[in-house]
Amino acid sequence: MSFILVFIEILIASIGAGFVGAIAGLGGGVVIVPVLTLFFGVPIIYATGTSLVSTIATSSSSASAYVKQKVSNIKVGMSLEIATTAGAIIGALISAFLYSNHLTYLIFIIFGIVLLLTILPNMSKMSTEMYERVASKPDWSTDLFQLRGEYYDRNLGVKIKYMGVRWWLGEIIMLSAGIISGLLGIGSGVLKVLGMDWAMKLPIKVTTTTSNFMIGVTAATGSAIYWALGYIQPFTAAAAAIGVLAGSYLGAKVLVKMHSSRIRMVFMVVLSVAGIEMVLRGLGVA
Amino acid sequence: MKMDNIISIELMAGVLISAALISIGVIFLFLDGGSDGMSLAAIASGNSLVNSAGFGIPAIVNSAENFQGLGFIFIGLIALIATPVVRVVLSVFLFAEEKNWIYVAITMIVLFNLLLAIFIVPGMVSTKVVIPQ
Repeated sequence: MSFILVFIEILIASIGAGFVGAIAGLGGGVVIVPVLTLFFGVPIIYATGTSLVSTIATSSSSASAYVKQKVSNIKVGMSLEIATTAGAIIGALISAFLYSNHLTYLIFIIFGIVLLLTILPNMSKMSTEMYERVASKPDWSTDLFQLRGEYYDRNLGVKIKYMGVRWWLGEIIMLSAGIISGLLGIGSGVLKVLGMDWAMKLPIKVTTTTSNFMIGVTAATGSAIYWALGYIQPFTAAAAAIGVLAGSYLGAKVLVKMHSSRIRMVFMVVLSVAGIEMVLRGLGVA
Repeated sequence: MKMDNIISIELMAGVLISAALISIGVIFLFLDGGSDGMSLAAIASGNSLVNSAGFGIPAIVNSAENFQGLGFIFIGLIALIATPVVRVVLSVFLFAEEKNWIYVAITMIVLFNLLLAIFIVPGMVSTKVVIPQ
């Protein structure tokens, strides 16, 4: 049966996408969309729908672990989800407008650019991974929105107390993260991390795990609209959701043991090529 | 804190339930060589016209009751989308239990956005999908 083969191919590609995504510090979504469109010839409308539901699976399973370890800050996440969910609605509506007006090539171009911009900060961060600039003075939003917290740092063996500031700035960045998520069917975790790390000055461990926690709700908002619009193709989505889930689980296991950043670098280069391919496809060159 | 544990368990349960339902659906789909009177070719091709817009809740329930693959896959995908929604609903109650009223309000705004996306927004846009053949 050739279709069983197709299913297994998408499943394996999704395991790979989830794995690469986890190692490169990205979600599976940003990897699975180029894989489905460039290699499997899946229409991008289905690729983004598939990606968004897969994102819920990976986000929920890893958030489950982080919440239990008490690293994610539920209050920070919850308060910022106001903006990410609102953004996701706007983004999904923009995508509906673009698809129904035959502007699909714009989705390719925007996707490629976002993918490239996503990789850049990750590449430069690799050399200075240990930096931490946390807030020292609270502002009005710190107490109003209860942005204080603490977590246990396993590497250092100490409890770290922290506080968040500039909640409003975080909220603005989260709105754009939500729009990108709804428009392209990805988790836009990098923007979420930027919002909490740079704007709200929260420690990096808290921002990455809380970002993960927020991605599920953001993606569910977009998925609900995608569902009604018919972006979700059951066959592709079934293969990808299970594949990405398994792949990111494996990737997270390997990541803990991996100390060399060279492998990450290789994956980033591969992803840059995918980003350029997406832009070229949108421009009608490739 | 109790809240962390409840949310952690709910998220993992949601993912496992949906993965199980989707897997069952895929097995039925291949065993029957199709689903709901449609051939595997019609369902599985990359630019298939079978998608989430063509199936309403009654059709999905009917499909699953007849042990059809698509019914299970769709219910599995709905369970996946519902997982974070249930997490938000749970959070409203958990914050209320802590008498943290500002966070009850914040969580209700998030829930409002979600319900808007699920029930109101789809009715505002035309549901025509342009699938390149």
